[in-house]
Amino acid sequence: MKLFDIKLVFSQIPTILSALPITIELTIIATLIGYLLGLVLALVKIHKTPVLRQIAVAYISIIRGTPILVQLYITYYGIPLMLKHHNLTYGTNYNINAIPAIVFAIIALGLNQSAFDAEVIRASIQSVDKGQVEAAKTLGMSGGQILRRVILPQAVVVALPSLGNSLISLIKGTSLAFTVAVVDLTAEGRILAGRNFRYFEVYCSLAIIYWVITVVLENMFKILENKFSIPDQPPVIAPEKVSGGVVK
Amino acid sequence: MSYIEIRGLCKKFGDNVILDHVDLDIEKGEVVAIIGPSGTGKSTLLRCLNLLETPEGGTIKVDGREYDLTTKDGKVKRNLRRESSMVFQQFNLIKHKNSLQNVEEGLRVVKRLGKDEARKKALAELENVGMADRLYHFPKHLSGGQQQRVAIARALAMEPNLLLMDEPTSALDPELVGEVLLTIRKAAKAGNTTLLVTHEMNFVKSVANKIIFLENGKVVACGTPKEIFGYPSNERLKEFLAKIHMLEGAEYNI
Repeated sequence: MKLFDIKLVFSQIPTILSALPITIELTIIATLIGYLLGLVLALVKIHKTPVLRQIAVAYISIIRGTPILVQLYITYYGIPLMLKHHNLTYGTNYNINAIPAIVFAIIALGLNQSAFDAEVIRASIQSVDKGQVEAAKTLGMSGGQILRRVILPQAVVVALPSLGNSLISLIKGTSLAFTVAVVDLTAEGRILAGRNFRYFEVYCSLAIIYWVITVVLENMFKILENKFSIPDQPPVIAPEKVSGGVVK
Repeated sequence: MSYIEIRGLCKKFGDNVILDHVDLDIEKGEVVAIIGPSGTGKSTLLRCLNLLETPEGGTIKVDGREYDLTTKDGKVKRNLRRESSMVFQQFNLIKHKNSLQNVEEGLRVVKRLGKDEARKKALAELENVGMADRLYHFPKHLSGGQQQRVAIARALAMEPNLLLMDEPTSALDPELVGEVLLTIRKAAKAGNTTLLVTHEMNFVKSVANKIIFLENGKVVACGTPKEIFGYPSNERLKEFLAKIHMLEGAEYNI
């Protein structure tokens, strides 16, 4: 028996990848929750809505101040407790065991993301120059229209690098989902290693998989950034059209 | 009854009274210029008229439609804002939209014009300000003067009943001021009712029908350019004009 089976590191990757859809599902849904809830939290903080703002500040502080592993366990044990309580108090009959484990992981990761994204989104919204908002107001645009058509398109450009970062850390955060009985990439790898005792090789395979996913994501965000940014060079003016700045 | 009637406009910042019961009448097609020392509420006056600042009191009547300037009703606010258009000192073009999109924005979103109609109108307005050759340039590709001309096209495209201009040339390099002043003169000659805050006294003299001298939140003097610059009656106005070398026939004591 070899000490380190390098061929196995690569040959077992396809087997581990059978759990890729779970990791992707976790990541996409948690990211969407994170972005949407993050946007809401950011808007509450910016508009200084009374009561809601204090709640948002406390929420962000608590989520950012506790380890994601602890948050996973709290949702995993906490949500069933809440449902049990609800069943007892209101005589409902929710089947706690029918909830797929992935739901707990999605909730925990989504909430975790939202706290981090909220700060990123808040900062990028506030980076948009106030004058443009004033101009949009004087045109008669409503608050929602200004947010959608003036602020967000520019805030996204500012936020993209940081949101990309947070997505990358989320991808790796999903590897903790095995603690709440979700069979994601990491769990699949551990199951595999449990059979052949090649733990070192499995973790090497996992490292390669996560790294490749991250590189793909990084490049996706680079492409997005380029797509959203305004070209440095002005468009070429057709010679016959040049008015030379003369007001006719 | 005047076309535009502003009554009892009051604005405070904290305990600081910026506008003290300002009344102002503007006739249709008139170009009214507001002059005065800095910090006397010229810009604030303009900004209260489209509610970029919320005044403590005051009403405005536009063509018979009366609005309470202290309203909290979002719909009334938007309706009032649609009566006027504003040209800012810092241009305030939307940075991720090109010239054409900047002008089209209000037409599409606020006036709800169709795509072709908005495009046609925007093209015509940009042609008017001499920017038809830079339709697809983004603000960062344009000089200050060009940005301001696009901003003027954007304001005029909305066909406002009142055009507000807040020091439109103050942020420009001296050599770019001319092209913007020409554009404003053209808009004024086209019959746009305009309220203009500026420090370009020679320009005011030749374009404005009426000049308001504002000091400490009050209208101190009001009259035609000839009355204001030729025969200033008020001591403070004389002092102000002497300082900016505009008092005709004045002797300078250096």
